[in-house]
Amino acid sequence: MSLFMQALLVAIFVTVAFIDSHTVQTHIFRPIVVGPVVGAIMGDFQTGLSVGVIVELMFLAVIFVGTAVPPNPTISTAIATAVAILGGGGTELAVATALPISFIGQVAETVQNSVINVFFMHRVEKAAERMDTRGIVMNNTILPMSMNALLYGVPTFLAVYFGADYVAGIIQAIPDKIITGLTVGGGMVGAVGFALLLSSIKSRQMWPFMFLGFFFAAYLHINMIGIALLAVVFSAMYYYFKLAPEAKTN
Amino acid sequence: MENKAKKITKKDLWKVFLNQMTIRGANNYERQQNAGFTQAMMPIIEKLYTDPEEKKAAYERHMEYFLTQDMVSAIPVGIAVAMEEKYATDPDMDPSSINAVKTALMGPLAGLGDSLLNGTARPILASLAISLVNANLGWVGPILFVLGMGFISIGIRYLGVFQGYAQGVKLVDKIQSSGLISKVTDIAAIAAYTIVGGFIPLLVYMNIPITITSGETVISIQETLNGLMPGVLGLAYTGLMYYLITKKKISAVKLIFVTMIVAIVGVYLGVLG
Repeated sequence: MSLFMQALLVAIFVTVAFIDSHTVQTHIFRPIVVGPVVGAIMGDFQTGLSVGVIVELMFLAVIFVGTAVPPNPTISTAIATAVAILGGGGTELAVATALPISFIGQVAETVQNSVINVFFMHRVEKAAERMDTRGIVMNNTILPMSMNALLYGVPTFLAVYFGADYVAGIIQAIPDKIITGLTVGGGMVGAVGFALLLSSIKSRQMWPFMFLGFFFAAYLHINMIGIALLAVVFSAMYYYFKLAPEAKTN
Repeated sequence: MENKAKKITKKDLWKVFLNQMTIRGANNYERQQNAGFTQAMMPIIEKLYTDPEEKKAAYERHMEYFLTQDMVSAIPVGIAVAMEEKYATDPDMDPSSINAVKTALMGPLAGLGDSLLNGTARPILASLAISLVNANLGWVGPILFVLGMGFISIGIRYLGVFQGYAQGVKLVDKIQSSGLISKVTDIAAIAAYTIVGGFIPLLVYMNIPITITSGETVISIQETLNGLMPGVLGLAYTGLMYYLITKKKISAVKLIFVTMIVAIVGVYLGVLG
């Protein structure tokens, strides 16, 4: 496949992924999916898969509550994977590229919410005044979703088609210690995501469960599936010991 | 008078279900999901109201500010369908109660949706997928992740629209009086706390490569810490971030930047690596 075709396919996939994230939300926009898909397009599935895993872990707990827009993992995984495969820099290069690009994605999304969609929303309002159902669908769905191609698809195409050499060049020009620093930071940045998730929890009195989870993982080396099962068991215990008896007495 | 014969059918609800998918189509900072909510209500408004003035008023109603988590927004959509149906046949009803109910549900549902879906279900499914990838199963992990999240997203939207309509305003009473939300929130909190605690030692890496030599013995700070409590640095750093977010109100984006700078400076000084 020519580079042109590859860049085009990656751009189309990114556009579809953004449309998914704004509509049905099957979550094909997450790094764990974007990585292998872009890897397959670029002809190196295995690297795509590893980049997907690493970036997914970086963004695992990054949830932003309410109106805030998080750094965007979709476009950053796509470009980082393509650059890593084209530049031959492997997953380390990908991680160093992913984080800066995620902030560019965040800026694009903020512009989308604060300018572009405000414009479309007012057009929906005018269409509603005219009782024009086609106008509502056009301005709430068709046009805003087409903007995803412009905001995310086109930059992805340009970055993959023209940018791989530049990005690889820039990354190579960066001193090794900064690259190491970015990798070290990538390992620490999960703490911000977890802290953010914790700050969104309303039932603060449940905090001891955090230490239960922590001790199981830290001392007993239970993996992530084990921790998820543990969470199910704790929730079930709370239900059977506390909520079910309460329901009986009421 | 013609209005009185109009009943919402299953087919209408399916149309609402499809249109609800676009709830964040024109998501905007001025009034958030208002245009999406209007599109979700469109099939109902078109069916119930023939009088142009009433129809226009109904559209205007739903263009008001609305914001909650995307998937669970299907619940207020379903309830609003039931209330519009009632209002169309009962002109004595106060139409402002429709928006009052929507507004009352926004906050609790957003908290629940964010913590239960984005904070619990997604990290669990993603970590499951990562474990499958690490077990060399290739596509299996990512495909199961998409199937799982797709099932959750579509299932919640389906239940929200159909149950929200079937139970109508009763559902609001149920949610508010029985403490249903606080119970589900408690369970979600237990799951989220357990997962965050358990994932910290697996996902937050910090390493201090400093060694102290005293006479014959070389003491590695990292090994000493791991001997006491593995992953304690990650836990402490998460605690610091939590403190800065909740008490000092520093935004997470700033903290991500600061973390990267701390890491780079740390590497240069040789205290992190």
